[in-house]
Amino acid sequence: MAERVFNLPDLGEGLEDAEIVDWKVSEGDTVELNQPLIEVNTAKALVEIPSPLAGRIVKLHGAAGDVVEVGAPLVTFEAEAGTPPSAETDAAAAAGQKATGGDGQSKREAVLVGYGVEEGAGAGKRRPRLKPPGPRKAPAAAAEAAPASETAAREVKATPPVRRLARERGVDLATITGTGPEGRITREDVLGAESAPAASSEGERVPVKGVRRMIAEKMARAWREVPHVTTFHTADATHVEALRRKLTGESGTKVSALAIFVRALVDVCGRHPKLNSSWDQDAHEIVLKGKHHVGIATDTERGLMVPVVHDAGDKGISMIAAEIAELVEATRAGKATLEQLTGGTITITNVGTYGSSFGTPIVNIPEVAILAVGRIEDRAVVKDGQVSARPSVTLSLSFDHRVLDGADADKALTDLREILEDPERLGALPS
Amino acid sequence: MAEVTMAQALTQALRHTMVEDDRVLVLGEDVGKLGGVFRITDKLQDEFGDERVFDTPLAESGIVGVSIGLAMAGWKPVPEMQFDAFSYPALDQVISHLAKYRFRSADTMSMPIVMRIPCGGGIGAAEHHSESPEAYYAHTSGLKVVMPSSPIDAFNLLVRAIEDPDPVIFFEPKGRYWSKESGDLEPNGLPIGKSRVVREGSHGTLVAWGGMVHRCLEAASAAAEDGVELEVLDLRSLVPLDVDGLVASARKTGRVVVVHEAPMTAGFGGEVVARVVEEAFDHLEAPVLRVTGYDMPYPPATVEEHYLPSVERILLAIQRTLDH
Amino acid sequence: MTAVEQPKDAIRILNPDGSVADREARESLDLKEEDLRALYRFMALARQVDIECTALQRQGELAVYPPLIGQEAAQVGSAYALAEEDFVFPSYREAAVALVRGVDLVEYMHFHRGTRHGGIEDPIGKRFAEISVPVSSQTLHAVGWAMGARKDGANACAIVYFGDGATSQGDFHEACNFAGVFGAPVIFLCQNNGWAISVPLARQTAGPIWKKAEGYGFPGVRVDGNDVLATYKVTREAAVRARSEHMPTLIEAVTYRMGPHSTADDRSRYQPQVEIEAWQELDPLVRYRKFLEAEDAIDAAFTEQVESDAKDLAASIRKGIAGAPPLDVREMFDWVWGDLPPVLKRQRDEVASLLEEAGDG
Repeated sequence: MAERVFNLPDLGEGLEDAEIVDWKVSEGDTVELNQPLIEVNTAKALVEIPSPLAGRIVKLHGAAGDVVEVGAPLVTFEAEAGTPPSAETDAAAAAGQKATGGDGQSKREAVLVGYGVEEGAGAGKRRPRLKPPGPRKAPAAAAEAAPASETAAREVKATPPVRRLARERGVDLATITGTGPEGRITREDVLGAESAPAASSEGERVPVKGVRRMIAEKMARAWREVPHVTTFHTADATHVEALRRKLTGESGTKVSALAIFVRALVDVCGRHPKLNSSWDQDAHEIVLKGKHHVGIATDTERGLMVPVVHDAGDKGISMIAAEIAELVEATRAGKATLEQLTGGTITITNVGTYGSSFGTPIVNIPEVAILAVGRIEDRAVVKDGQVSARPSVTLSLSFDHRVLDGADADKALTDLREILEDPERLGALPS
Repeated sequence: MAEVTMAQALTQALRHTMVEDDRVLVLGEDVGKLGGVFRITDKLQDEFGDERVFDTPLAESGIVGVSIGLAMAGWKPVPEMQFDAFSYPALDQVISHLAKYRFRSADTMSMPIVMRIPCGGGIGAAEHHSESPEAYYAHTSGLKVVMPSSPIDAFNLLVRAIEDPDPVIFFEPKGRYWSKESGDLEPNGLPIGKSRVVREGSHGTLVAWGGMVHRCLEAASAAAEDGVELEVLDLRSLVPLDVDGLVASARKTGRVVVVHEAPMTAGFGGEVVARVVEEAFDHLEAPVLRVTGYDMPYPPATVEEHYLPSVERILLAIQRTLDH
Repeated sequence: MTAVEQPKDAIRILNPDGSVADREARESLDLKEEDLRALYRFMALARQVDIECTALQRQGELAVYPPLIGQEAAQVGSAYALAEEDFVFPSYREAAVALVRGVDLVEYMHFHRGTRHGGIEDPIGKRFAEISVPVSSQTLHAVGWAMGARKDGANACAIVYFGDGATSQGDFHEACNFAGVFGAPVIFLCQNNGWAISVPLARQTAGPIWKKAEGYGFPGVRVDGNDVLATYKVTREAAVRARSEHMPTLIEAVTYRMGPHSTADDRSRYQPQVEIEAWQELDPLVRYRKFLEAEDAIDAAFTEQVESDAKDLAASIRKGIAGAPPLDVREMFDWVWGDLPPVLKRQRDEVASLLEEAGDG
């Protein structure tokens, strides 16, 4: 014995409901197949409905005068064994699950041979989920800007392919002036807007291209890959100053202190070769460079560039000074050759030029050490218990801690300081 | 304000015009005593007599041809076709004469005839009872083609159609005959050729007419659950087409999906797409799509749900426009 | 308003009370006793099927059903008169004809369930055209088939069924005209059941239906459509006339629509109860049974067997129809043309993928 619910069928081409006029049976009655059950009134006619099966009536759903919706239960039977299945009563079991829509409201199932006045049959179907369209604006713009720019973009003229391009590039159409016919935004307009500085709410945006971009990338890489440590030594620069004045007088041209530091550094590298090397990550080897090619960090309009004094160990201080001046001029004029700009083994940066006392320079990979020379300035020093004013310079050595330890770096810097403070050793450097 | 069904609204429109103008006639199969198979002419014969509301022999071509003659004798016939597909025998009278008479007479006379045709599927009917033939009529110059989607519109548009001196093919989506709406059945001056934004939205527009307007509203409700706000535009008349209304909505949302029951190929949806592309191209974010019946004869009732545009298919089309 | 009685010029063999009205005609019939019993059996089966199908519609198993109750004699008598090679063109109310012609009624009723259009698998093989809904349109098809058969020198005729309403349609007149001009071997069988939905005969046509044939150059005959023997006789004669003389015949079988136009029709609005009751007295089964009993052609065992067979047939239709699943809509894309063009293939693929996603694939 199975319980079967008989739903009200659509009795005439798209009817939605029917009014119960008269029950011909009572609950508890046993009925035969096709025995008259009920008389209902539809929008079209008075209709008598015969029983769809033989069995006992368990429940009558509704009383005379009630309006029943097509697809809603009319009679619950206890069907006799062997009762053949029917769309109407078997659908009820399935309808019990499907008849309720997502919002709890009962939706009509397909109750009659494929009908559905409501989209009842679709109620159980898969429903595609949608994503609202993303706002078409520059990615970092504030969220509040979105609705305004969405509406504004709707107003401008741009063909569908151009709109798509703008979407993909994150360009806000509302901020572009179209150069096409009737002010239409063209493909070129979108591409142009992409590289032009665009006003945004957090400040002016400056595009980074070319050399600057390369520098930025190299700096980031150096920072990422090289474990930086910087060690600082301060040296008495009295004798450096004296030598500088002497050499300037002798050569007739200005000899910078920088040239002295370069030559002295090269000398130190001779005794501390690891300073002048590079780190081979793949082979896990330190490559000790035989020659000394010193890069001179130079500030140019286009950004930081490092021309190289090749074979500085073979050159005297005056020659190095002249070469530095030449290289800097050429580099700033954009005329330095590739050879002049490459091949360095160690770099020196004269941070003192802009007034800095010391610094923490970033190693110019693939080198392992960079020396920042601060400003030569008078400082109060203590010597033999006495305070006096002496020209003084701080030497900052940043190094790759994979290659050099603190001890290595300090020993090298100590060596350098000793040369700079010893007039004899200083004077022994090739001039 | 009472609730009325579309069927009742149409009955009242006929009653109203027959009271206002005693030249209006209602004729067709079973429109008299029976009141029409859908009860649209219910009790009109009792009220206006059988000289003004009368049954005809079973002959559609005869009904329309005779209506043409009646019009030439100064009457205003409102012939009823019993079902969409049964209007086909009359196509010769419609296309060869009804549509052409004003033109043929160099504008000296017109055909003030409204041909009422129940159309559309989704009611589990037998073959030939579920067609959407609007394209055949829309393609015939000289005819106006109207299809309301809701009761109050149905009332106003039928009143207006009967007042129109030109022939109007008045389609009534039979699946919506028993749909209800609250409102007054007093003419509000609604002209033919004006579309209606039934639901406002900004992310996309669903364009439809007749029975599919309701389906589009269901789709829009579903989309709203995901935060996608769809505009639903009820064209109300296919000829003349409210191009301004269509273009305004296309410009507003940038994404358009046209929905109709009739088969895709050469369906009226193609006309809508063409107009949108012609007039709103520079405001479109995505291709203009159609969700329609398939290119087959209307299938048997037990599978019609797979043929008719479903909420799912409409949402998939919208998804395509959003992803573009 | 339809005349309650049969018109006087209607051919009749049996009176409503079962007595023989035309003895000579009765004797001339080429029917054996087993044929006489078969005629009754078919009518009884048809009636039971009709009642069952109306119930099935009320129970939601059929979408719409157009009952033929009251018209059994017109359909069975005429169908029984056909030869095997004859071709039947029905309208939408000829389930009794289908029964006589050996069409599977479960297959036929699937039309009314909305499973498939047409109702007939293999119309050419079964010599039974698909159910035709547009009124009178099938009359032209019948004439065309008859013209084609004649070109092949076939010894066969076509019969086309339609109602009184159909005689108002242009197609009917064009068909008659073609038939007359081309000498098509066709029988026009009009079941004048008094009503075309709510329009009575008097509002349908002003002249007698059977006389319309004269205008087209071939004989028309009016028969008592509730007299199965008379209907058989005139159809038999028309078939001979068609095959041997290539002459059409218009048969007006006067009968009555005892039920509504269809299960979607409310006939209480227009069909007078007194009229229905009057025609009850002219019931084709009752009169014929009385005749058979008077002739000693049947006994209680026979009628009980027929009743049992009728219930079995009704039950088998219920079994085949109730709960029957829909066909696969994907297959229907192949039914449009002989091949499957790309645009249709795409549409079918779309339906297929939607069905698969829904788990119905």
